[in-house]
Amino acid sequence: MILAENVCYTYRNGNNVLKNISFEIKKGEFIAIIGSNGSGKTTLLKHFNGLLKPTGGKMLVNGMDTRKTKTSRLAKYVGFLFQNPDHQIFCSTVYDEIAFGLKNISTRREDIRQRVKKAAEKLGLESLLDSNPLTLSKGQRQRVAFASILALETDIIVLDEPTKGQDYIESIKIMDTVRELNEQGKTIIMVTHDMELAALYAKRIIVLRNGTIHLDGRTESVMASPEILASSGLKPPQIYMLSYMFRKYGLFWNVHTVEDMFRQLLAHLEGSKNVSIG
Amino acid sequence: MSAFVEYIPGNSIFHRLNPITKILWTFSVMIVCFLTENPLAVLSVFIVNLVIAATGNIIRQMYPILRGLLVFCTILSLCQVFFIKEGTVVLYALPWFRLGPVTDRGIRLCVLISLRMLSTASTVPILLMTTPMSDIITAMTEKLRLPYKYSLMLTIALKFIPSFIDEMNQVMQAQMSRGYNSDTKNPFRKFLIIIPLAIPLLITSIQKSRLLAISMEVRGFGSGKRSCYKDCSMGNADYIAIIIMASFVLAGIAAALIT
Ligand SMILES: Nc1ncnc2c1ncn2[C@@H]1O[C@H](COP(=O)(O)OP(=O)(O)O)[C@@H](O)[C@H]1O
Ligand SMILES: [Mg+2]
Repeated sequence: MILAENVCYTYRNGNNVLKNISFEIKKGEFIAIIGSNGSGKTTLLKHFNGLLKPTGGKMLVNGMDTRKTKTSRLAKYVGFLFQNPDHQIFCSTVYDEIAFGLKNISTRREDIRQRVKKAAEKLGLESLLDSNPLTLSKGQRQRVAFASILALETDIIVLDEPTKGQDYIESIKIMDTVRELNEQGKTIIMVTHDMELAALYAKRIIVLRNGTIHLDGRTESVMASPEILASSGLKPPQIYMLSYMFRKYGLFWNVHTVEDMFRQLLAHLEGSKNVSIG
Repeated sequence: MSAFVEYIPGNSIFHRLNPITKILWTFSVMIVCFLTENPLAVLSVFIVNLVIAATGNIIRQMYPILRGLLVFCTILSLCQVFFIKEGTVVLYALPWFRLGPVTDRGIRLCVLISLRMLSTASTVPILLMTTPMSDIITAMTEKLRLPYKYSLMLTIALKFIPSFIDEMNQVMQAQMSRGYNSDTKNPFRKFLIIIPLAIPLLITSIQKSRLLAISMEVRGFGSGKRSCYKDCSMGNADYIAIIIMASFVLAGIAAALIT
């Protein structure tokens, strides 16, 4: 679906942000891109729908070279949720806001109605369709923005810190929606600072450091390398840390959830009542 | 953003001069350039400006500004030169038909006007690139007794421009991601097309200014008399610079009175 070949990007002020990025993303993947602030995550994301064109190398999306394709055309294939919903909201009703993108990609009128409703339902906005988005809370506005992307029903969905500024429950709700979309076959690429959420939801993790790919692999294996992550200024969730420490003591547990850890620990304790750990 | 005139840290003599001295400098350049009719005199003022920019290490940043000014002056001169009839004709725009006569006085005047423009218009960017805005403001309030509120308004407005452009880019990108396409041939749509950009921009700007107002208030803005921690007194270099500038201005006035 997405193929990056030695992608480099230098901003016009000479800021060389991406350096030789290469990877392939297949249909139906769920990827989290992590890295410290300024490592180039947003810059990379903006390449997926041609908002930024690689200054070196090549980026192919659905076989289209992003350098030769307009963002407004790529919008049919790639949905992009920005960090700040206020950068896009301009309509006087939530309905119109969600419908904006659909009108842009010239969807038929009866389809618009149906797709807006579907997107609104997914994000719990049905009762707010007639409200003015500006009167809503930040969390609700974020969901309106998300719904307007969902309505486009693109195969690829790109999310830049979708849970930033949301409380725990809201974050989980958003992420569950994202997971549901992924289970329906959509390719998800998201940037997040929340290692817990990345570990919990993503299947593959790409770690960026200073504009290069530092790690790229299955979530379990990336999270199981705290030392490498630390050199990128990241720390895996505590459960991975605990598992890692146990492994260091020769207890080869590779567990990623609290429940698993508890069960294995219990079994271990029952099996060796008289042995003290460590 | 890079396209804007902003402070470029440095430690040149010009960087270290008092902001007031530099403001006086921009005024003296203006006075001298408009008093004298001699293109060579104005040219030397311009060269001095370039030397100042060079010692301040800001030539590279000045380059696009100078190029823009030059283009502007050229266009202006081309528009003007054919309308000056005084003096002797030295060449024609279309020599075969003896059309579009250009006189020596015309050329001289256009060169003079262009040089005046280059000299006076290049001082302000040099001032802004070598002086932090906050220093200019402090100096203006402390020395020139400008009410602080007005000077602050000025700073905020200037600071706002680059962030406004950033914001504009963000909005543009967010809408493009939703299939928004800004090139259309239909004139009616051309008008409507700015709405998805203008409204979010307006709203985020208002949000920002409200946030700024609150953050200033909670830090005690407007609670009474202000103090100032920066020392904005004049040094020896300032007095020397002011004396030099004053003599040039006086010389200019004298020369203008004599002729
Ligand atoms: N428009 C821009 N012009 C110049 N430099 C930029 C621009 N946008 C971002 N940068 C720089 O690129 C680097 C990476 O930024 P970004 O991709 O936003 O990082 P992240 O999203 O990982 O925090 C930062 O050092 C940032 O200052
Ligand atoms: Mg970012």
